[in-house]
Amino acid sequence: MTTLLPTGLPASLLAATVLLAAAGPAQAADAEAAQALARRSNCMKCHAVDKVKDAKPWREVAKELKGKPDAQERLTKHITTGPKVKLEDGSEEVHPIIKTKNADEIRNLVDWILSL
Amino acid sequence: MSADMTPPSRWSRLRDFFFRPSTMSVTAVVGIGMLSGLLLWSGFNTGMDATNTLGFCVSCHEMRDTVLQEYKETVHYKNRSGVRAACADCHVPKDWAHKFLRKIQASSELYGKFVTASIDTPEKFEDKRMEMAQRVWATMKANDSQECRNCHSWEAMDPHKQTTRARKKMEPAQKEGKTCIDCHKGIAHLLPSEYTEDEE
Repeated sequence: MTTLLPTGLPASLLAATVLLAAAGPAQAADAEAAQALARRSNCMKCHAVDKVKDAKPWREVAKELKGKPDAQERLTKHITTGPKVKLEDGSEEVHPIIKTKNADEIRNLVDWILSL
Repeated sequence: MSADMTPPSRWSRLRDFFFRPSTMSVTAVVGIGMLSGLLLWSGFNTGMDATNTLGFCVSCHEMRDTVLQEYKETVHYKNRSGVRAACADCHVPKDWAHKFLRKIQASSELYGKFVTASIDTPEKFEDKRMEMAQRVWATMKANDSQECRNCHSWEAMDPHKQTTRARKKMEPAQKEGKTCIDCHKGIAHLLPSEYTEDEE
């Protein structure tokens, strides 16, 4: 007989929910490695996590892409293909390309930015 | 005193040639001296300049497998106008005296290569990247980024041809008397992971 909770839901469902919530995302981004890559690639010249420098802070980028299904793909393309970006004053510049060809390192950085 | 009748040996003839007064004319002696001096001096400088070539620098795998690969991805290696700055253009002074001093200093690099093998693996190189970068930045700061200014100069810069963002940074930098390396770090090689951008 299934143990029922006061709400009428089976206890096993509650147990499963608690476990899933505790586990967190399947593979959390390695923040240290991501930040090291960002520093090596000179991203911090224009970007900061919270501060507005020449470019959007990453927390804002994460907010804009939150919930979008292609967030990871869009951000990866942005940092690997050198697209033209519009700055605050309306001028356009080519976004620098990340200084690694290692797909895992790039994915880790993208995941970390999106998790901010 | 009887004359020495034994014929002079090979070695005493050689000694006499170099250390006894010459039987040749002054013109001949001076002429030969000048020609030898010219050959020795040009040979020395040709040799020294040969150690300035990219090929020489990357004959060490420590350079070939690390900084060369990074540099090849940058604008100082390949760009629109086809002007290339190779290793010595940034790392070796152009004037003879400072160039010569740098070459003497380079003996410590040979020591690091052949005696201590201090950066002969990618891991060892990464461990020392910050230390090496800081040393180069300090050298460049000390001579007001002379090697940058061998090619780039404020006078030759047209702010109208720069991007807005570049102009916004360069104009105050020029007014404040900043030196190139203050901002332009990591332009030919990767920045160290420990490097943090100063918050201004």
